[in-house]
Amino acid sequence: MTKVFRSVRFNIFLGAVITLASAMGTLIPQITETPEKVAQFQGVHPHWSRLFGFFNLFDVYHSYWFMGLLALMAVDIILCKLWSLPPDQGLVSLPPEETRELEAERHLAQKDAALKLKPYRADFKSAFPYNKAVEQAKKGLDQRGYAIQEDFFAQAGAAFVATRHRAQRWGSYLAHIALVTILLGALIRAVFGFVEMVPVIEGGSRAMQNKPDWNLFVDKFDIKYYPGTRDPSSYASALRVESRGKLLAQKTIHVNDPLDIGGVRFYQASWGAGGMFRSATLKFGDSVIRLPQRVLKKIPGTPLSVEADVMLPDFTVDQDGQADTGSLELKDPAVRVFFQMGPHKTRPIWLLQKFPNISFVENDDGILEHILRPPFRLVDVDPVLFSGIQVAYDPGFKIVLAGAILWLAGMIMLFYLHRRRLWVLVEPDGRASRVCVGGWSSRGPREFEAEFAALMGELRGGMEPRSDLLISRQVPAP
Amino acid sequence: MTIQMVLIKLALAFYVGATALAVAFLFSREEKLSLWMLRLLGIGVLFHLGSFGVRQYLFWQIPENRWFFSINSFFGALSYLALAVTATFFIVEREHRLGILGAFVLPWATIGVGSAVIFADPKLEGLVPALQSYWINIHPIVLMTAYAMFANAFGVGVALLVQEHQIKSRKPTELCYRLPSIEELDTLNYKIIVAAFPVLTVGIIMGGIWAYNAWGRFWGWDAKETWALITALIYAGYLHMRFVKGLRGRKAVYVSMLGFASVVFTFLGVNYLSQLHGYLSGRG
Repeated sequence: MTKVFRSVRFNIFLGAVITLASAMGTLIPQITETPEKVAQFQGVHPHWSRLFGFFNLFDVYHSYWFMGLLALMAVDIILCKLWSLPPDQGLVSLPPEETRELEAERHLAQKDAALKLKPYRADFKSAFPYNKAVEQAKKGLDQRGYAIQEDFFAQAGAAFVATRHRAQRWGSYLAHIALVTILLGALIRAVFGFVEMVPVIEGGSRAMQNKPDWNLFVDKFDIKYYPGTRDPSSYASALRVESRGKLLAQKTIHVNDPLDIGGVRFYQASWGAGGMFRSATLKFGDSVIRLPQRVLKKIPGTPLSVEADVMLPDFTVDQDGQADTGSLELKDPAVRVFFQMGPHKTRPIWLLQKFPNISFVENDDGILEHILRPPFRLVDVDPVLFSGIQVAYDPGFKIVLAGAILWLAGMIMLFYLHRRRLWVLVEPDGRASRVCVGGWSSRGPREFEAEFAALMGELRGGMEPRSDLLISRQVPAP
Repeated sequence: MTIQMVLIKLALAFYVGATALAVAFLFSREEKLSLWMLRLLGIGVLFHLGSFGVRQYLFWQIPENRWFFSINSFFGALSYLALAVTATFFIVEREHRLGILGAFVLPWATIGVGSAVIFADPKLEGLVPALQSYWINIHPIVLMTAYAMFANAFGVGVALLVQEHQIKSRKPTELCYRLPSIEELDTLNYKIIVAAFPVLTVGIIMGGIWAYNAWGRFWGWDAKETWALITALIYAGYLHMRFVKGLRGRKAVYVSMLGFASVVFTFLGVNYLSQLHGYLSGRG
């Protein structure tokens, strides 16, 4: 059974399904990202919506089948890697004869045959006596970062294997373990973590849902705009968190700089204006009146009084012809006012700060009719802003981070390190010695060929050479 | 016209010239063409760097932008991407001295700078608060460097397909002898992807860490995140097919090209789907 799950074909298929499902989630509106688009889609395509709803396609990434696919991938990675222990060969497999040949080398039998199948081979003679030649060869390779692995020494000759960057074999393991670790971190977050949005108006407080004892106080909300625009350059909240009247922590949080209380983090996520304001400033002829919200004030020199009751931060007229706001940002603030003379009250009138020449009168059904050039204008409005604080607890993050570091290490080992393996035979040749080296590397054949030749040149140079260096490429390198 | 625009238009002119010479070199044995292609490209890069420098200086005149890289706009991103494509090309060229690859790679740099000049708005704006983080100097740069490397691999892939077509055709033209062997092109395509894949994945992970610091979640299935993941999955598929199944040549190139299509979609198309990465299309 596990054979099917371990097969490359199955894994490629699984990867392709996850890829397609992920892509689908970006093309079909998702309830967590754009609920309004989901509602719109459901209105236009009721039949498709039923089908999509059945398969959870409006919330692909949180559906059981998608999570199941991710879990299957994690299990599969573990299976594949467990089955290929001991560590796989890395990117390019060594010549398959490796083990058998090493054995042969160890007994110095068929030594030429042993080296015959290595991709690269170098031969030279050294004036050094046999013992010294072996010592010098080891020393030379050691200086160049090679570690001596297998070693056999006898009167008839010596054989050893020198390797460099053996760690590459572990790269693939680390990378795959890293993936499983990251998925595990995500699972822990999904089970034990939470995230919630807590909008708190400046000077106000609000309790959290996930920690009902905890109260968030925004003592001050500061926002700065780029000159001449309504684009914020920075915003920050003086945040205080209390539990049953006891202060837990306080800090001025900025975007990218949260407050952390034992792993529960408070982020400055957004801001906006609700309907509340401290004052609206109206100009009526030469008189300027500052109106607190819902306070009736007399206009000097007239029998009229005026009151402002609601503010919309981004005024628009909706499909039904009623006043609405396009967003919670102060893009186009408008205030609704009434005028009163004795017991008589006018209909509500919307004044727009940015467009003093247009205003709207609201009828009993809330439908707007616009009037041009109103004799009064909205000069300024001082809104009460709310701070959008995202509270998140993610106990899996450190595990994800560990996975990320493992991944980085795995990637470096797997792709940026190249293994080299040299099989060295040294035989006595009268009072001198004969050196024969076979080489293999996971580097590209062209690069390794040059490297091998240079390395052998250096090795030979340090060993009082008695012959030319003979380098041959035995079989096409893997 | 601002100095920044003058310089980038000069860079574009030199890139167009270098690309034309690279294409001419495909059909001619004249080594001088290749040499002059590199020279024009070098001068183009100098102008491009100059334009970048001026833009950076102006960007930093807005105090909130100080020490951040001006990559928040489409213009800045395209311009950096083109620069990274040429930088990668220079590295590949230095290592392999193929010359002929310019015809397949340089059009991408030219298209990048050309699109920046023609379609993108060079206006400099203050960074939105979410982007005022040192991560803006790391995360997008790392990812776009990976994209530029993949663009180079794509160029090599096209060369491989052309070469294979030549070899299979009954009347191969001189191009067949001018292009490197299929094996060589296949290895080069693989080597560039192998170098770029870790960069891509590490860039994605860095984005996750930034997201955790800014919003409290490592991963949120935002369209941009998802498509970057899809790109990584496709290239991971390519690597597995190659290592384990020994996939080579045309079929391997097709998979890598699918990966590059995903890169292009991640960079361009997703801006209209993404809620959080919409700033590139000026919505954020």
